Amino acid sequence: MAARTVVLKVTNLSKSYGPSVIVENFSLEVREGEAVALTGRNGAGKSTVLRCLVGADRPTEGTVEVLGEKVSESNVDIRRNVATVIDDLDFFPDLSVVEHLDLLARAHGLDDADALVDEVLEEVQLVPQSGQLPGTLSSGQRRRLALATAMVRPRKLLVLDEPEQRLDVEGIRWLGERLRAEKERGLAIVLASHEPSLVEALGCRIVQLGGARG
Amino acid sequence: MSRLSRKKSGPKATAPKAGQASEPVVVLAEQPEALPEPARLVVQQDVNSLHQHQVDERQLQLLIKDWRRGRATRSVGQMLSDAYVALFSVAVIAAMMISSLIRAQSLAADCSADSCGAARGLLPWAALAGVLGLALGAARMFGPVLASAAEGFWLMEAPLRRSKLLAARLLAAILLALVGGAAVGALTSTLTGSSGDAVIAWTVATGLGAAGLTAMAAAEQGAERTWIVKTIQAIVSLVGLTALLLVVATASGWIDLGLTDNLAVELAAIVAAAGLLLAVGAGIIARTRLDRIRRSRLTSGGSLISGMQGAMFAMDFGLMRDILVEREAVDRGHVRPTRGRGTGLTALVLRDVQRIIRFPKPWVLLAASVVVPYSVQALGLGRLVVPIAAIVLMAALIPFFTSLRILSRTKGLARAFPFTTAQIRTATCVVPGVLALVWGIAVTPAFVGVGGTSMVGKTPVDAAMWALVTGFAGMLAAMRWQSAKSANYQAPMVATSMGAMPPGLMFNLVRGFDMVALMSVPAVFGWTPWISVVLGIIIFSFLRVGGIDPEEMRELQEQQKKQLNESRLGQAAGNPAPGKGASSKPAGKATTPAGQKIRIKRGE
Repeated sequence: MAARTVVLKVTNLSKSYGPSVIVENFSLEVREGEAVALTGRNGAGKSTVLRCLVGADRPTEGTVEVLGEKVSESNVDIRRNVATVIDDLDFFPDLSVVEHLDLLARAHGLDDADALVDEVLEEVQLVPQSGQLPGTLSSGQRRRLALATAMVRPRKLLVLDEPEQRLDVEGIRWLGERLRAEKERGLAIVLASHEPSLVEALGCRIVQLGGARG
Repeated sequence: MSRLSRKKSGPKATAPKAGQASEPVVVLAEQPEALPEPARLVVQQDVNSLHQHQVDERQLQLLIKDWRRGRATRSVGQMLSDAYVALFSVAVIAAMMISSLIRAQSLAADCSADSCGAARGLLPWAALAGVLGLALGAARMFGPVLASAAEGFWLMEAPLRRSKLLAARLLAAILLALVGGAAVGALTSTLTGSSGDAVIAWTVATGLGAAGLTAMAAAEQGAERTWIVKTIQAIVSLVGLTALLLVVATASGWIDLGLTDNLAVELAAIVAAAGLLLAVGAGIIARTRLDRIRRSRLTSGGSLISGMQGAMFAMDFGLMRDILVEREAVDRGHVRPTRGRGTGLTALVLRDVQRIIRFPKPWVLLAASVVVPYSVQALGLGRLVVPIAAIVLMAALIPFFTSLRILSRTKGLARAFPFTTAQIRTATCVVPGVLALVWGIAVTPAFVGVGGTSMVGKTPVDAAMWALVTGFAGMLAAMRWQSAKSANYQAPMVATSMGAMPPGLMFNLVRGFDMVALMSVPAVFGWTPWISVVLGIIIFSFLRVGGIDPEEMRELQEQQKKQLNESRLGQAAGNPAPGKGASSKPAGKATTPAGQKIRIKRGE
């Protein structure tokens, strides 16, 4: 069996904010069809690592590569291959739920995106809200929409920061199943989570972050 | 087992022997005999049996005021002495503005042409309509009677007469409309070079008109109705647009209304009297209906105000607008979804087209802004047409940059799109850019000097160029306004007499205006418009990449170098280089279905 491609490679990543060291010498390799869960107490640096992985933050030291390309926010190839759901996702106040998904799919070059958008919309149980503007959605529905944005676009790596947040029990179960299916299709997944059932359902390799403090 | 189930005594507990360390004995929570008898809760006083006095709302308000005063750490005098630099700056800026106003007023007053007289007679009408429309819009958005969330929870729930608590709010709303309206009326009539009597008449008319309509909106708020206010708002907007079109027509010499200053004073007096009657009559009705206003309706305006106050403290006007836009979207709640068209960047541009068709309100201001150069020409203000018209166009174009705003304020959504910052910003500028171009063409006759002489530019071609440059300046200013970063509170602060301040805070005040100033300098000094064109191109190049980030530039350079090398390798291998708009994957790489990249070696 051929070796699976390394999708994400993190080498000696360190991140500090002033004198405070959040992450120190963190290395990680994630291959196709592999899921990695970052766990650790609050403030251990999980979100910081994820932000560095997607180029939202620059590491103080070390490198992050996705499919051999150095990660930076300006790199279009990275944007094309990495789907992220981290906390800074914003929505257009004047576009409805379905229009967000449609726009994103089209921006990624999917011409006939209607079927895909409808399918994802149904999966995240937002069909009744398809015409609603994001400001009127509940926090759980906004989370579902955020997750849906990652599903209507091509991707090779999925980066999720506590995706279970604000989801109900049924939603967390669905998320586990969906991510497992993504993993089986060859997608690399990195997530930070406090939800053991999700990590277990996904069959993740668990990386415990201790939080080096300076 | 939880800490709650630990006990030191109980049926199975053993007393520690002397000299031994005492260890807590764990008792299983399931053993009911281990639990102590719960203490009976005795209510000492039955609140219902206490004598209930009639609450004096006024006394309650005074009590709250006393508490607030007792908690104040600084007096007004101390606060003013701390902020003396800011006050001094405000005084200097105010002096400069007054000086400019006097100069503009004398310029306009000196103009004795028919068009100047017509503009003097008509522009205050347009300003009046604008102020009335704005007063109604603000009244609908905020209440006009409102209460904070805390008041809503603590006071409105109590068996108090809400009308007693809210009467002062109603009065404040009406007075605010009176003062604000009067200020705009005074400013407009002064700038149009009207006589002293006319200035006073228009000031009073605009102020009382705004106050009257605010009182009427408050009365409707108590009746839980909106259609009357909406209808009046539409009529007022129509009157304003008609007045503006008449300004264009008279400035172009198509019609002559024969308006005089005396007639304007008489008409303004009628408006003022009607406004006063409405303010008193509707004010009394509103006062009687205060008890009927729902709590949620009261606190909704209050929470909106508190959100905007937060943005105001950061001098972030963009954020203030975001809050209003978000509120408007929430009020609307639902739209009929439409599928997009095109792919890639085209999808983003076409979605902007759909957006401006769906939300046509910004068109009104854009259409009204076309009149500004004609009005300025009619008033004979000469070269000032470029900065004045560009500032108004900036305000008119800001709502068309919604995509740019959302994709610049946080990076999260932008990261989901497979485009660079420059590509995103360029795409989101297409629709406003086309609108600015159309605007430039529409105002060209005013610049060339239809019905008079050219205000700016030595030749008609130059004048036409200035019209387009003004459109360009307005677009760049709106782009800067919508894409500017908020003040960074994580960066090192600057020490001022008012305390620590982030360096970008003061620049928030001038964002947008700085672009207009830069682009207008050649017009004001009578230089060739090409200087402004070059300046505009430089500014656009700067704005589209979102400023200079050395680290990002270096990464971009490395990336481009790498792509160039790989493209060369690919060409040598017989693969065509990717064209513009195609996938930006380098030609030297092929991708397997599994996403595995295969590097193609030279000569393969």
